[in-house]
Amino acid sequence: MTGTDFLYPFIEGDERDADALLDDLAASARAKAQESARLREETLERCASELAHTAMAMADGFRRGGRLFTFGNGGSATDARLAADRFRTVGRFSGGLPTLCLSDATAVVTALGNDVGFDLVYAREVEALGRAGDIALGCSTSGGSHNVLRAFAVAHAKGMVTVGLAGYGGGAMADCRDLDHCLFVRSQSVHRIQETQAALLGHLAARVRDDLERDGAR
Amino acid sequence: MNALDTTSPPLSVGGDLANDLAITALELARRIAVGATLWCVAPAAPAHAAHLAVEFLHPVIMGKRAVPAVALEGPATRTALRAAARPGDVLVLLGSVREPELHALARRAAPWGLTTLWFVTDADTDIDADADAVAVPVAADHVLRAREGTDPWVDLVLAYHLLWELTHVVFEHPGLLQPSAAAASEVCVTCADEGRVAEVQQLADDEASVRCGGVTESVATGLVDDLVAGELVLVHAGVAIARIDEAS
Repeated sequence: MTGTDFLYPFIEGDERDADALLDDLAASARAKAQESARLREETLERCASELAHTAMAMADGFRRGGRLFTFGNGGSATDARLAADRFRTVGRFSGGLPTLCLSDATAVVTALGNDVGFDLVYAREVEALGRAGDIALGCSTSGGSHNVLRAFAVAHAKGMVTVGLAGYGGGAMADCRDLDHCLFVRSQSVHRIQETQAALLGHLAARVRDDLERDGAR
Repeated sequence: MNALDTTSPPLSVGGDLANDLAITALELARRIAVGATLWCVAPAAPAHAAHLAVEFLHPVIMGKRAVPAVALEGPATRTALRAAARPGDVLVLLGSVREPELHALARRAAPWGLTTLWFVTDADTDIDADADAVAVPVAADHVLRAREGTDPWVDLVLAYHLLWELTHVVFEHPGLLQPSAAAASEVCVTCADEGRVAEVQQLADDEASVRCGGVTESVATGLVDDLVAGELVLVHAGVAIARIDEAS
């Protein structure tokens, strides 16, 4: 060992004992899970009022025959798909609520991306499919995905209800005039943001279900 | 984990998820370091498989390595896996122990030369209360119980995010990415893939039924002379390629 080796104990790549690393990894996993839970709790508390308003507006949309269109990019595209599934299959409305994930349409997304540009893929889909009274729900961990923001603009112009989920304190979505409702997470970790967004979407779906079921009970 | 560790029970059922994730991340990083592709399958919620694949293939954190990862869905999943996955690759299953196709894939993974991780989405109590009706995923090399909280969606996303994060921590420890000396000697000399340890049960001509990863399978034994029942062999792609000397 030379004088500075203690600063870089494994710089030669000769680390062989995995036990210490395994302990660190497990501790790190616990800490991250704890942070995830804390962020979820903080966000659900801060967003309680906005969540209630959003759920009310969405339930109202469904009640009037509106359909839900979800979209996002990458991990947010899969979240959008899970959101569409979640809303479609809540409670007694199982199989009933009309939802569609725009990110799933590979042929359409690649055709539009290739022919008119990726920024317009969801805007064009919303333009083609959306009607006044429908709901547009877009996810973007940065809050700044251009194709999501462009879709909100089209949806808003058509008289649809617009709902945005974002991280990074909301990003561009926080000031987006095309958005009726914005649920955002105060974090800069994409992973923690997505976990909290999943929780927000879960709560949103549950509230919409409760709202619609109250109707049914009357 | 190295090839020899598979002689111990592969299950970490009932273990702490954080510890299981740590062990799994180390193994996963080692597999990736030697060229493994991740094959992600979640029949009941394919979006989770897609999420996991894009996470590894296109990391959200700049500078992190891109890992080959593919999500498969639909009726051709099994056929596509059989045709496209290569020995040494990793099969990542996400879903309930009540999904028969997941068991079918986990069972086939070993014969195909794949290491299996299974994110089990059932609450522990679901399984315990219904033990008779539920086949515990014995064929999976790593079982991660991804159900700790109240929302299965959140729990699962958190669990695979953590696996991604821990795996990338392991990449920062290049010395630990090497298989141990014991495992290195068990590598197939023709293709450099690791084999799996199996116990010989019955012998017939040039074939043997062996117990491997908790399941019984048939392997060709032409490459290994004078096997007897009870011996351990290294199995690679359905062929017993070497006897493992348990005395050393």
